[in-house]
Amino acid sequence: MKKFTRRDFLKLTTNSLLGLSGALGLGGLIRFMSFDMDPAPPSQYDLGSAENYRSGSRVLLAQIPAMLIHNESGYMAFSLVCTHLGCTVEQKDSGFECPCHGSKYDDKGYVTRGPANTPLRRLRVAVNETGNLILYMT
Amino acid sequence: MQTSLINKRNARALLLVLGFFLFVSFLLTENAAASPSLQTSATPTILPSVTPTFDMRRMDKPKVSAIPSQSEKGQLLYWGICLACHGDRGQGLTDEFRLGAFGADSNCWQSGCHGKNHPPDGFEMPKTLTFPALSNAGSLGRFQNAQQLYDYVVAMMPWWKPGSLGSEKAWQVTAYLLKMKGSLPDGIVLNETNASAVPVHRLATAPKNENIAIFIFIGAMILSMVGLIARDIFPRLKTDADSSDHAAIRLTRPNFFAHLHPPTIPAMQARWRYTLGAGGMAVFFALILLVTGLLEIFYYTPTPDKAAISIETIANFVPFGALIRNLHYWSAQILVIVTLIHLARVIFTGAYGAQRKSNFVLGASLLVFVVLLDFTGYILRWDEGVRWALTAGTNLLKTIPFVGDGLYAFIVGGSEIGPAALLRFYAWHIFVLTLAFIIATIWHLFRVRRDGGIATAPAGERESSERITRLELVKREVLGMFIGGILLLLLATFIPAPIAPPMRGATILAADSSAPWFFLWVQQLLKLGDPFLLGVLVPLAAIIFISATPYIFKEVKPSELGRWFPRSGRIAQLTFVIIAVIIIALTLFSIFKIL
Repeated sequence: MKKFTRRDFLKLTTNSLLGLSGALGLGGLIRFMSFDMDPAPPSQYDLGSAENYRSGSRVLLAQIPAMLIHNESGYMAFSLVCTHLGCTVEQKDSGFECPCHGSKYDDKGYVTRGPANTPLRRLRVAVNETGNLILYMT
Repeated sequence: MQTSLINKRNARALLLVLGFFLFVSFLLTENAAASPSLQTSATPTILPSVTPTFDMRRMDKPKVSAIPSQSEKGQLLYWGICLACHGDRGQGLTDEFRLGAFGADSNCWQSGCHGKNHPPDGFEMPKTLTFPALSNAGSLGRFQNAQQLYDYVVAMMPWWKPGSLGSEKAWQVTAYLLKMKGSLPDGIVLNETNASAVPVHRLATAPKNENIAIFIFIGAMILSMVGLIARDIFPRLKTDADSSDHAAIRLTRPNFFAHLHPPTIPAMQARWRYTLGAGGMAVFFALILLVTGLLEIFYYTPTPDKAAISIETIANFVPFGALIRNLHYWSAQILVIVTLIHLARVIFTGAYGAQRKSNFVLGASLLVFVVLLDFTGYILRWDEGVRWALTAGTNLLKTIPFVGDGLYAFIVGGSEIGPAALLRFYAWHIFVLTLAFIIATIWHLFRVRRDGGIATAPAGERESSERITRLELVKREVLGMFIGGILLLLLATFIPAPIAPPMRGATILAADSSAPWFFLWVQQLLKLGDPFLLGVLVPLAAIIFISATPYIFKEVKPSELGRWFPRSGRIAQLTFVIIAVIIIALTLFSIFKIL
């Protein structure tokens, strides 16, 4: 076996120190780049008085975007973000169609044609103590 | 004296008794409205029917640390000034708080308290006044960031004596308000240079313990530098392998990086005491500037309302953002100095003659690029600190006859400073000037090589005919980089780059009227008279004159090259010294406000 000389030791130490500073620099770079500048989107929306949404009504909430349905079984809402690749679906006929890749959903948000394979995401709706309808995004 | 005492104290007691009487009669007769003549008819409907369980300790003076933090000072101020109206927990003037905390005096609008006949040092509170909650989920909705909240507090609060807090106390109160909201970042002392980056409605976390990581990084670099030079310093560590390394590099086909240098160069060209390493250091700092500048692009927002805020965000919240920004700033300042040292070295050693004439002009143009890049980068801060330099600097363009206005529109993007100007300075800085600078730098380096390397006497007339390999040359360059890099890192860790409050419309805060340091001499000249002559023609003439050095002055004899102050270049040296002394003197006059 080759002798591990003083010179070899020095070389190894130097190289590991160089490696350490390189790794630290890379770690710092990754941390620098992974900062999130924007505030998180709201986790809930106040839709105003629940009385504004009569039984049997279907309301398109374009800003969110979501669909709010009030029927005999109560309030129900689903997101209008296509589950395929995130485009906002458009109301077509009695259901929804995605303008990007043509996924189709029925009026309750279930897939009727691919490429999407999961229904539009259900969102929780609740009436708070002041009688306002709150839509929860998470 | 005595009568007034009777009036104050007893009137209040009398009114309380009357109020109680009315309250009881209301309960008994359910006909309270039948007594319009009495003052108490103006009391709000809620009166203490049941004593609420209110822990009076909530009203105690808050306990703070021996050395109170900014938010703790704010907490004391809040307790003394704001609490009465906004509640002990920032809940607003709720019934629970009012009844619990003030008991018998809980009807604030009552005569004698904050009614029409309030005490002389008190004030009247209109019934319509609302007392907003400060700490709830929906509170402080109109404020996005701490700066806006501060602006409101300092100008409008306390309601009865707006503006009485003053700046420092208003910052303390703002810090405490954020603390109640849960959005005061740890380790941040709010001030006008960071508040815009601190959001009111969410907690931005400031990175922690960064300096430890930086020190480990610097430590590892110092130690590896020691390791790298150790075997050159201690002969015992040298082996035959070293010399064979050299041979191998000379013989095999060199890779791209090896191609950057010739296989060997005369040792006389690479002496520290001759070159000072200034040109190489300039390349190194330019590389640091490129990398750190590239990283800053990811967060910098070139719009007037966001520019300074995005810089504050980089400096306070982005992990290692402060380090990156400080590195960028300090390398830029050092680059100007190193470039000037390099220029001085070339003139004082006469290395501008014969085939090097055109490369000298190219080098002088690089100095212009460095200064323009520094100036445009400085403008990108878009804070109160750059306002006057920006205004005066760009208005100088307008003083140029015939083409002035056109040039202004071309460079600034409009007929006055506005959003377009910021976008243009951004484009000039990160693209046009940078690209031109990179191309000119590469060309300059190529020409150094083409023109026979760093100037020395011809082969036969040198003091020493020794040559060094490119491995040795690269070692010296690496050593220079390590030393430069470590000093730069220390500078960037301990001395932050300047930032002032964001520029906001016409309101001028603590405006700094100084030009950036490398233009102080021009600012000083401008005090003396005509702006076109002194602000445009004289600096332009100076740079053109210096650029033309090889064409104006006699060439230095080849045998005299490779050393300082050759006899045949004396006139050029003296002229440069005179120009340098004038510029330095003007700069000093400006710094120390002489003349």
